Amino acid sequence: MTVPLLSLIVFMPAAGAALLMFLRNDDAVRWTALGFTVLDFALSIVMLAGFDTTTHEMQFTERRPWVPALGITYALGVDGISALFVFLTALLGWICVLASWVAIDRKVKEFMISLLAMQALVLGVFCALDLFLFYVFWEAMLIPMYLIIGVWGGDGRVYAAFKFFLYTLAGSLLFLVGVIVLYFQGGETFDILALTAQDLPFQVQSWLFFAFLIAFAVKVPMVPVHTWLPDAHVQAPTAGSIILAGVLLKMGAYGFLRFSLPMLPEASVYYSTLMLALSALAIVYGGFLALAQDDLKKLVAYSSISHMGFVTMGIFALNLRGLEGGILQMFNHGVTTGALFLFVGLIYERTHTRSIADYGGLMKVAPVYTAFLALFTLSSMALPGTNSFVGELLVLSGGFAANFAVGAAAVLGALLGAAYLLGMYRKVALGPVSARAQFKIHDVNGREITAILPLAVFVLWVGLYPKPFLDVMDASVKHLLTQVHDRESGQ
Amino acid sequence: MTAAELFQSVLASLPEIVVVTGACILLIVGQLVPKGQEHFLVWASVAVVLIAALLTLMLAGEVRPAYTGMFIADRFAVFFKFVFYLATVLTFLLSRKYADIEGIGSSEYYVLLLFALSGMMILASATDLLSIYVGLELMVLCTYVLTGFLRGERRSNEAALKYVILGAASTGIFLYGVSLVYGLTGTTQLDAMAAAVSGNPLDPGLLLAVVFIVAGLVFKVGAVPFHMWVPDVYEGAPTTITAFMSVGPKAAGFAVILRVFLNPLVAASDVWIIVAVIAVVTMALGSFVALVQDNFKRVLAYSSIAHAGFAILGVVAGGQDGIASVMFYLLIYAFMNLGIFGTVIMMRNGDFSGEVIEDYAGFAKSYPGLAFLMLLFLFSLAGIPPTAGFFAKFYVLVALVEQGFVMLAVIAVLLSAVAAYFYIRIVMVIYMREPERTFEPALTPLVRATLAFTAAGTIGIGLFPAWFLGLAQRSVFGG
Repeated sequence: MTVPLLSLIVFMPAAGAALLMFLRNDDAVRWTALGFTVLDFALSIVMLAGFDTTTHEMQFTERRPWVPALGITYALGVDGISALFVFLTALLGWICVLASWVAIDRKVKEFMISLLAMQALVLGVFCALDLFLFYVFWEAMLIPMYLIIGVWGGDGRVYAAFKFFLYTLAGSLLFLVGVIVLYFQGGETFDILALTAQDLPFQVQSWLFFAFLIAFAVKVPMVPVHTWLPDAHVQAPTAGSIILAGVLLKMGAYGFLRFSLPMLPEASVYYSTLMLALSALAIVYGGFLALAQDDLKKLVAYSSISHMGFVTMGIFALNLRGLEGGILQMFNHGVTTGALFLFVGLIYERTHTRSIADYGGLMKVAPVYTAFLALFTLSSMALPGTNSFVGELLVLSGGFAANFAVGAAAVLGALLGAAYLLGMYRKVALGPVSARAQFKIHDVNGREITAILPLAVFVLWVGLYPKPFLDVMDASVKHLLTQVHDRESGQ
Repeated sequence: MTAAELFQSVLASLPEIVVVTGACILLIVGQLVPKGQEHFLVWASVAVVLIAALLTLMLAGEVRPAYTGMFIADRFAVFFKFVFYLATVLTFLLSRKYADIEGIGSSEYYVLLLFALSGMMILASATDLLSIYVGLELMVLCTYVLTGFLRGERRSNEAALKYVILGAASTGIFLYGVSLVYGLTGTTQLDAMAAAVSGNPLDPGLLLAVVFIVAGLVFKVGAVPFHMWVPDVYEGAPTTITAFMSVGPKAAGFAVILRVFLNPLVAASDVWIIVAVIAVVTMALGSFVALVQDNFKRVLAYSSIAHAGFAILGVVAGGQDGIASVMFYLLIYAFMNLGIFGTVIMMRNGDFSGEVIEDYAGFAKSYPGLAFLMLLFLFSLAGIPPTAGFFAKFYVLVALVEQGFVMLAVIAVLLSAVAAYFYIRIVMVIYMREPERTFEPALTPLVRATLAFTAAGTIGIGLFPAWFLGLAQRSVFGG
C-alpha cells in the first residue's frame, strides 16, 4: 500500500489544529503550529519532487467511496496546475504562523486553530477530484475565515466579516445548484474527470457557466463583485490578509481552470470576450482605485484586484501563453502580494498606523526592511528580473493575441501599477524621516527575515529562471487547451 | 377481527402499548415519589422509551399491517419513531436540572411527554385519516398542557391559550376535510381512497377536501400561512418543551404529510403547486422575520419555520429521493436543533433567563468549549459544510433538481443565504463581543452528555453521511 501523500498534506494542519486544542501555553501553541506547518511544507516538497512533469494525468490519486448512494467519492489528486498551488499554500502556511507570532497576543490558541483549519481546507480545495468534496472544502473555509477576520481583525472587523461571509456564501450557493445540475446532466457522478469528459448542450453550458461565474468571480474577485475585498483585507489580521491574498483569491481562478474551461468549453469560448473585458476593467479600475488610497493595506488590496485581472485575462485568452502566464501570475501574486501584506503588517505592529502620510524616510530607520520592500514593490510592478515580469509578459502576449483592445487596456493598467507602487515607495521609504513614526521603528528581526527570505527567493527565482515552474504546468495546460478547443471546434 | 389478527395487531403496536402503559404507571407512581427524588422519574421515563425503542428494533424486520388497515408498522414508521425516541430522551435529559430551576416538580411533566410520544408514534404508523386524527389529538393535547406548564408565568399561559384555540381551529378544518373525503369516496383509508377515485382525480370537491386536510396538517409543522402560533408558543413554553416541539411533533407532522401527500390521490391533484408555494413563502417568511428578532427563542422559532419550508420542498420533489430527503432532513434537524436548544436551556440559571441574544455577548471568552459547540450547531443550522445541516439541505436540493425543479432550488439556496445571516449574527455576538457579565451555565452531567451527543451527531453525520442516508433511503415506504 502506498502512502496517501495528499491526504497527509491536507490533513496535517487539521491534525495540528486538533492537537492545539489540548495545549494551554501560548508559546507551546505557537511552536506546535509552526512545527505542523513546516512539516506540511516539507511534505509538499516531497510531493513536488515526485511529481512527473511529462504527463497531464492526475498524480498521487486516492479514491475511496464516501457516499456511494449519491456517487460521492473521497478523491484527491494533483496535476500540473494544482501542484503549484498546493506548494504555495503550504509555503504561506508557516509564513502566516511566523507573521502572527507577536501580532496575535490574545486567544492565540483559537487563532492558530483557525489558521491551521483554514490551511487544511484550502489544500483540500486544490486537491479535490470530486466536485462534492471540492464544494465541502470550498464552503467550510468560510467558518475559520469568518472568525479570523471577525475576532482578530481591526475596528471594523464585524462588518467586514459579515460582508465577506455573505458575499461568498451567496455566490457559492448558486454554484451548489450548478453542481447538482451538472451531476444529473453528467450521468449522476461528482467525479471531476468524468464530468470533464461530458459533452453538454450549449444551453446547459451557458447556464452553468454563469452559475459558476458568480461563485468564482466573487472569490477572485472580479469587478463588479469585488467590494468585499478591501474591507476584508483592511480589517483582517496580517496572517488573514496573507492567506486571503495568497491563496483564497486563487481558488476562484482555480475554479475557472478546473471547472469552467474543461467542463463548459463552448460557453467558455463563447463568453471569453466578456470575461476579457471584465478582466481589463478590473485591471484598470483596480489600478485607479489603488492610486487614490492613503491606507497602505487598502492600496495593496486594490492592487490585488488589478493583478487578479491579469490572471483572469490570461485564463480567458484561451491560448498557451495566456494560460501559462495566468497560472504563473497566480503563483506570483501569492508570493508578492502575500509579502506586501506581510510588510504592511510588520510596520503596523511597530507604529499602529497604516496611513501613508504618517510615514517617510524609513530607509534611514530600517534599511533592511526598506531594501526588501523595494524588491517586492518592484516585483509587484513587474520589473524585468522579477517574477511578475515573466507572468505579465506572457499574459499580455496572450491577451494581445486574443483581443487587441483588451491587451492595450492591460498595458495601461501595468503603467498605473508603476505609478501607485512607486508613489507609495517614495512616500514611505524616501525623503525626510517622518516625525511621527521614527522613534518607534526598529528594523526587522531574525524571525521576520525568516518569513521574508523564502518569498524573496521565489521572486528572483521565477524572475530569472521560470522554466521549472512552467515545466510543472506545461503538460496540464496543453491538455486543458486541447480540451477546450478540440471540443469547441468539433461542434 | 379474529384472535390471530388481534394478536398480530397488538404485536405490531407493541411499542405504542409499552409507552402508553408506562405513562399510566408513572402517572400513579409519580405521585408517590418523595420530593428530591425526581431523578427517579427521569430515569424511569427514559427506561420506558428505551424499552419501546428496543421493541421497535426487534419488530422492524417485516411490514405489519394492523387493526384492519388503520395502522401499519413499516420501516418508514420505524425511522420516524427513532427520531421521536431521540427527541424525547434528549428532552428528558435536558429537563432534569431545568425543571428544578423553573420549579416544575410534578411528575405529570414526564407523563405528558410520554403521552405525546405515543401520539407521535401512532401518527407515524397511521394509514387511515381517523387514526391520524387520534394520534394528532393525543400529541397536541399533551403539548397544549406542556406549553402552559409554567403556571406562574404570563407568557406561558398566553402561549398555551393561543395554541389551544388555533390548534382546535386547525383540527376542525382537518376533520372537515376528512368528512368531505368520506362523503365523496366512502372511505377514510388512504389506500382505499386512492383506489376509489382513480377514475376522476380532478373532482373539485375532492380538491377542496385535500386543501382542507393540507391546511390542517401544515398547521402542525408551522408552515405559512398557519405559522402564527409558532413564535409565541415557542417563546412562552418552557424551553425544554420548545426544544421538544420543534423536533418531535414537527417530525410527526411531516410523517403524516408524507403519507398523505404522496398518496396517489393527492399526487394526481396538482396540489404540489400549492405545496411549492407554501414551501417558498414559509422559507422566505421564516428567514426574513428572524433577521430582526432579539429573543433567542423567537429566532429559533422563525428558524424552525424556515427549516420547515425547506423540508416541504422535499415533499414537493416527491419520489424516492424526495421522501428520503425529508426524512434525512428531519433526523439531522433533530440533532442540531436539540443541540442549540440545549445551550439555551443551559443558560437558564438562577434569575438569569439567557433568552436574549445579547446575553451571550463574549460567551466564547469564558467558555470556549461551549461556545464552539454553539458555533457548530449554528453553522449546521445555516447549512455550512462539513456539518450535517449542509448535507440535509444538499440532499433536498438533489431531489429537487432530479425532478426538474431547478428554479425552486435556486430560490431555496438564496433564501438560505438570508437565513445564514441571523445564525452567524449569533456567532458574532458570542465570539466578537466583550463579555458584560459572568456566566454560570447550569451544566449538569446530563446536559453535558446531551450536548456531546448532539454535537457528535451534527458533525458525525456531516462527515460520514453514507450510513444515515442509506437508512433514510431504505426506510422510504413503498420503496
